[in-house]
Amino acid sequence: MGESNEDIDQMFSNLLGEMDLLTQSLGVDILPPPDPKPPRAEFNYSVGFKDLNESLNALEDQDLDALMADLVADISEAEQRTIQAQKESPQKQPPSASLCVPSFSDTASLGYGANVAAPSQYDDDLPPPPADPMLDLPLPPPPPGPISQEEEEAQAKADKIKLALEKLKEAKVKKLVVKILMNDNSSKSLMVDERQLARDVLDNLFEKTHCDCNVDWCLYEIYPELQIERFFEDHENVVEILSDWTRDTENKLLFLEKEEKYAVFKNPQNFYLDNKGKKENKETNEKMNAKNKESLLEESFCGTSVIVPELEGALYLKEDGKKSWKRRYFLLRASGIYYVPKGKTKTSRDLACFIQFENVNIYYGIQCKMKYKAPTDYCFVLKHPQIQKESQYIKYLCCDDARALSQWVTGIRIAKYGKTLYDNYQRAMARAGLASRWTNLGTVNAVPPAPPSTGVKTGTTQANGQLPQATQSMNTALGEDWRQLETTKDKKPGPGLGSHDPGAPRAQPLPKSSLPPPPPPVRRSSDVGGGSPGTPPKAKGAAARFPAPPDDFLPPPPPPPPPLQDDELPPPPPDFNEAPPDFVPPPPPSFAEDLPPPPPPPPALAPESVRTPPVVVKRPPPPPKRQENPGPPGGGGGEQDFMSDLMKALQKKRGNVS
Amino acid sequence: MAGMKTATGDYIDSSWELRVFIGEEDPEAESLTLRVTGESHIGGVLLKIVEEIKRKQDWSDHAIWWEQKRQWLLQTHWTLDKYGILADARLFFGPQHRPVILRLPNRRALRLRASFSQPLFQAMVAICRLLSELRQPRDAAGGRLGEAWVGEGYRAWLTPTRTPGVAPASFRGMPAHFSDSAQTEACYHMLSRPQPPPDPLLLQRLPRPSSLLDKTQLHSRWLDSSRCLMQQGIKAGDTLWLRFKYYSFFDLDPKTDPVRLTQLYEQARWDLLLEEIDCTEEEMMVFAALQYHINKLSQSGEVDEPAGTDSGLDDLDLALSNLEVKLEGSAPTDMLDSLTTIPELKDHLRIFRPRKLTLKGYRQHWVVFKETTLSYYKSQDEAPGEPIQQLNLKGCEVVPDVNVSGQKFCIKLLVPSPEGMSEIYLRCQDEQQYARWMAGCRLASKGRTMADSSYSSEVQAILAFLSLQRTGGGGGGSGNHPQGPDASAEGLNPYGLVAPRFQRKFKAKQLTPRILEAHQNVAQLSLSEAQLRFIQAWQSLPDFGISYVVVRFKGSRKDEILGIANNRLIRIDLSVGDVVKTWRFSNMRQWNVNWDIRQVAIEFDEHINVAFSCVSASCRIVHEYIGGYIFLSTRERARGEELDEDLFLQLTGGHEAF
Repeated sequence: MGESNEDIDQMFSNLLGEMDLLTQSLGVDILPPPDPKPPRAEFNYSVGFKDLNESLNALEDQDLDALMADLVADISEAEQRTIQAQKESPQKQPPSASLCVPSFSDTASLGYGANVAAPSQYDDDLPPPPADPMLDLPLPPPPPGPISQEEEEAQAKADKIKLALEKLKEAKVKKLVVKILMNDNSSKSLMVDERQLARDVLDNLFEKTHCDCNVDWCLYEIYPELQIERFFEDHENVVEILSDWTRDTENKLLFLEKEEKYAVFKNPQNFYLDNKGKKENKETNEKMNAKNKESLLEESFCGTSVIVPELEGALYLKEDGKKSWKRRYFLLRASGIYYVPKGKTKTSRDLACFIQFENVNIYYGIQCKMKYKAPTDYCFVLKHPQIQKESQYIKYLCCDDARALSQWVTGIRIAKYGKTLYDNYQRAMARAGLASRWTNLGTVNAVPPAPPSTGVKTGTTQANGQLPQATQSMNTALGEDWRQLETTKDKKPGPGLGSHDPGAPRAQPLPKSSLPPPPPPVRRSSDVGGGSPGTPPKAKGAAARFPAPPDDFLPPPPPPPPPLQDDELPPPPPDFNEAPPDFVPPPPPSFAEDLPPPPPPPPALAPESVRTPPVVVKRPPPPPKRQENPGPPGGGGGEQDFMSDLMKALQKKRGNVS
Repeated sequence: MAGMKTATGDYIDSSWELRVFIGEEDPEAESLTLRVTGESHIGGVLLKIVEEIKRKQDWSDHAIWWEQKRQWLLQTHWTLDKYGILADARLFFGPQHRPVILRLPNRRALRLRASFSQPLFQAMVAICRLLSELRQPRDAAGGRLGEAWVGEGYRAWLTPTRTPGVAPASFRGMPAHFSDSAQTEACYHMLSRPQPPPDPLLLQRLPRPSSLLDKTQLHSRWLDSSRCLMQQGIKAGDTLWLRFKYYSFFDLDPKTDPVRLTQLYEQARWDLLLEEIDCTEEEMMVFAALQYHINKLSQSGEVDEPAGTDSGLDDLDLALSNLEVKLEGSAPTDMLDSLTTIPELKDHLRIFRPRKLTLKGYRQHWVVFKETTLSYYKSQDEAPGEPIQQLNLKGCEVVPDVNVSGQKFCIKLLVPSPEGMSEIYLRCQDEQQYARWMAGCRLASKGRTMADSSYSSEVQAILAFLSLQRTGGGGGGSGNHPQGPDASAEGLNPYGLVAPRFQRKFKAKQLTPRILEAHQNVAQLSLSEAQLRFIQAWQSLPDFGISYVVVRFKGSRKDEILGIANNRLIRIDLSVGDVVKTWRFSNMRQWNVNWDIRQVAIEFDEHINVAFSCVSASCRIVHEYIGGYIFLSTRERARGEELDEDLFLQLTGGHEAF
C-alpha cells in the first residue's frame, strides 16, 4: 500500500510537471486554439501528448501491420465465436495482461474489490480485454500458447483489431480546453473532444451547472471584434468551430438562454403564417392552439422536404467596404437569398442570387448602427466560418424591425439546416423533459440537505479566482485520474485473476455494492440514455447522491475533500472504464468525469425546491450559484479525460523503461 | 319470355322490338333486333344478344351502353322499365375495357386496356396497380390534355399488358406480372428507369406556358374521377395523359416504389424543362446536374448501387471497414485514411494571385498538394524547404474556369482565412492534369483527401464532363445552336438539361462548367437518392404544387387567379402575379358548390366566407382538388391503409345533379 502511494506520488509530480508545461504553452482563453494555417499542426497544442502517443503508436503500427494481415481471415466467423470464446476462455488473456502489470501490480493490490466486478461486464459486452497491454506487445501474432484453438485465434484477432482501432482513434482524438462564460460573468473550463457536438457539450454543462435544462440553453459565440454573435446549433461540432478561431482571438463562448433558438418550433405560426405583418393575422396567430401548431410543424418539417417559410421584403445591404447601406428587395428561397435586380420583377426567372448558404453561417450583428452606420440595429451577418477579421466577404444585412430580423434569421437557419433543426429541437425537448422529471424526483428527496447551501457560497468565491482554482481542480482531477488509471490497469489484470480463480469475477459484485458510492452507474445510465424513460434510475440517482453530499460538505474548503473522497470512492473508475470499450465516445466519459463530485446537486436543488415548489422552469436565479458550486471539481472533471490520456501515456513510458 | 305470338304472327304480349348495335359506338355497326318486354332483365337481354350473334367468343367483358343517356347498363337484374329504356333507345353492345394510349409522366406512351365503365377513380386504381403500383392512385389522375400537345418526341408503342387487377408480387426485383416476356420486361424498365434527356430542339418546340394565364390552361382538363371514361367522351384509342394531380407525395420509398419515384421524377423534370414551374438560374443548375447524374447512372445500369463507393476500396480496406462497422456500428473514414498512405500531387503549375496594384500574370511554380493542403515553391529544388505559401483548402470554394477549345484549364480557388477569402488561380496544362488537380481540390474543400475512395470517380467525372464540353457546343461558332440527338452516348448536350430560356441565355460552353460545378455536390448519390433529391428540390420551390384556375370572386369585377396547393388556397392577382391572400385548409370549416350557378363557396374559421365562380375550368375541378387534398390530409394519419374510396368520392363527388 505504502509503496503504491509513493509510486502514485511520484507519478503525480511527474504529471504535474507535464501539466505545467502544457498550461504554459496554451493560451488563456481557449487554451489550445490552434493556428488554422498549418492544418495538421492543429494537434500541436497537445504537444506533450502527441509525442508520447507517438511513441506508443510505434508499437501500434507494428501491430497494425499484423492486424492487416490477420484481417484477411474470415471476420464474421471470428466475431461469432468471440462471445463464446470469451466465456470459455479468460485464460487466453492473462499472458498479455500480465505483461502490462509490472509497474502497477502494487496499485492493483490496493484492493478495490469492486473493480473486479467490471470484468464481468466486459465479458458480456465486448471481448476486448486489456486495451493497453495488448498494444504493449510488440509481437503481432497472437500468443495463443498452449490452448490454441481456432476460436481463440479468431477471437484474439478480433480483439486485437478492435483494440488497435480503438487505440488509433483515441490517439487521434483532438481535445480542447474551452473556457465558457456563464451569464453571471463567472466561467467554467471544459474539456471538449473533437467528437462532441454542441448538444453533448450542453448536456455536459447542464450536468455541471444544474440549471433547468430547458431547450433555450445554448452555446453562444461572440466575436467582439466584428461585433457579431450567434448560437451554435445543437448538431454542430464544437471543436471544429473553435478551430477556426485564431490563436490570439478575443472571441468568447457563452452558455446562456436564447429564446430565438427554437422559437420557430414554439410558435411556428409567427414564421409560417405571417402575412407581412397584417393586423388581422397577428390576432389569429396568437390564438393558434397546440394542435394546430403541431400539424403546422408536421407539415413544414416532416414532409419529403422541409418547407422554408415564405419570406421576402426590403432589407438594407451594406455595400462592400463602405459604410453606406443600399435598400434592396430580397427573397428567401430554399436555395439561397435572392434579390430583385433593378427594373426587374420578383418572378423566379428574374431573381439574382445574393448568397447561398452552403459556406456561410448566420450571425446577429450587434450595434451595427454605431459601428457601420446601419439604418437600424436589427442586423444579421453572413460570413464564412473561417473568416475572423473584417473583410469584404462578410455580408451585412439590416432589417426594419425585430420581427423581420427574427424571421430572416430563422428562415435562413431552416433553409440551411433543414430537418436537422427539428431533430435538434426534439432532442433538446427530450432532454429538458428528462431534466424536469429528474428535478421533480430530486427535489422530493433533496429537501432535507438544504442547509449546506452555505457551502455553495464558498464555492462561488473561489470559482472566480480562476487560475489558482484551475490548478486545484486539476489536482483533484489528477487524483481521480490516477485512480482511474489504476483501475484501468486493475481491471485488466482482472480477467487474468479470473483465470486463476474462475469464480472470482462474478462473485465480486457484492463488495462493490457494499462500498459507499453507487451513484456512478446510475447516473450514467440515465444520462447516456438521454431520453431513457425509466424514472426508477433517477430516483435511485437522487437517493444515491444523498449520502455523498455530507461527506463532501462537512469539510467546507473544497481542495482537501476530493482527494479524501478519492481514496474512499474507488467505484467511479470502473464505471468510467466502461466507456472506452463501449465506444459511444462523447457522453460517457464526460459524465463519468462528473462522478467524483456528486455532492453539489442536492444543496443546489434544495434552494430551488424551497423557492419554487412547483418546480421545473425557474430560470434566472438558480444557475449562477449552482454553477459555481460544482465549478471547482467539475472543471477538474473536464480535464480528466485529457488527463487520463496523459497518465496512460506516462505509464506506458514507464512501463517501457522499467 | 317476350315475343309470344299467335298463329297469325301477332304478338300477344306487350313485347316490342329493341335494336342493339354490336361493337363500339359506330354508326355502321351491325345491329340485332330483339323482342323484349318492359319486364325483361338486362341479364336476359344480354343472353339473348349473345345467342343471336352466334359467334363463339368471350363476351364476359361486354355490356350495354345507352348512348342518349350516356350510361352503362350494368345492373343485370334491373328491368328495361326500371332503366326507362324504350324502343327508341340507341344501345351498343360492346366491351367495357378498351384500348387507350396512356402518356406517362415520362412522356412515353403506353397502350393498355382501360375500363370504360368504372368510375375513373377505380379505373385509375387499376391502372396504377398495373403500372406496378404507383401505389397511391390518388396521386395520379387522368387528364386529357390530348391534342393541344403536338410534336411529342418519343413514340414507344408497347403491346398491351394484362388486364388490371393483378396483385403485386415480386419477381426478379420487379412486380411479377412484368416478368412474362421480354416485352413486358422492357416495359417495366421503361417505367422504372429515368429517360435520357430530350433533344433540345424538341424542347424548344414544345409549347410552354408563358404566363400565369397559360398555366391555368394546364389544369383545366382533368377528367372527372367519379364518372367513367365513356361518359366523358373518351373513345377507344384516344390518348390520355397520366399525371400526378395532387402534389402531396406521401411516404416516398424508393425501395418499394421505383416506378412511382421515377415517374414522379419525370414529371418534376418536365415541369421544369417546360417552364411550368419557374426556378432561378442557380436552382436550374442543380436540377441540370442531378439530371445529368441520374442519366449517367441509369445508362450505366447502376440502378441501386451507390455510385462509385466501392471502386477505390480494395478488399482489405473493405474488410477492415466492415469489421469496424460490425464492432462499433459506424465507419469513420478517416480511420482508413491513416492506414493507407495518402497520395499527393506534385507538379509544375502556373499560379496567379490577383492582388491590387499588381499586373503580374501566371507564374510557374512547383506545387505540392498533400492531404488538404496546397503548398507552392519557387522551384522543385526548394521543395523540402519553406514554401512560398501554404493553403489549407478545407472549406474553400472551387470554381472551374475552363475553355476546352481554347485549351485553358484553370482552377479558381477561394480560400477562406481569418482575414477573408484569398483568391488563387491554378492553371493546368491539359485535361488529365486538370482533372487530377481539380478532383483533389474538390475533395479537399470538403475536408477529404485524395485517399478518399471517391477520388478516382471524381477524376473520371471531370474528364467525362470535359469531353462532353468538347462535343456539346464548345466547338467554336456553333454557339447557340444546340446539337441534335446524336450527341447522346457520352457527350451529353447541356441544352437537354435546362429549360429553353437558359438555352437562350447561355452558350453551351458557359452552361457546362456551371452544371459540372453543381454536379460535384451530387456526384456521390445513388440513382434513387438522386431522384429523391431532385424531387425534394422541386418541392422546395416556392411555386411548387400550385394548380391555377381563373376565377371570379364574388363581388369582384375582374378575373383573378386561384391557386390551389396541398395546404392552402391562394388568391393571386392575374395581371401582376402577386399573392393577395392565402387561406389554409386547416382553417376551413366547409365548402359548398352550387352547380347551377357554378359557384364555390367556402367558409373558414372566424366567419370568413369566400365565394367564387370558376372561369377557366369547371368548378368540378376546383371542387375535386379541394376535396382531394382534404382527403389526402386525412390519409396522413392512417398510414398504409387501403384507400377509402367512398370517402374520396364523398369529398370529391356530390355533383350528380348536373
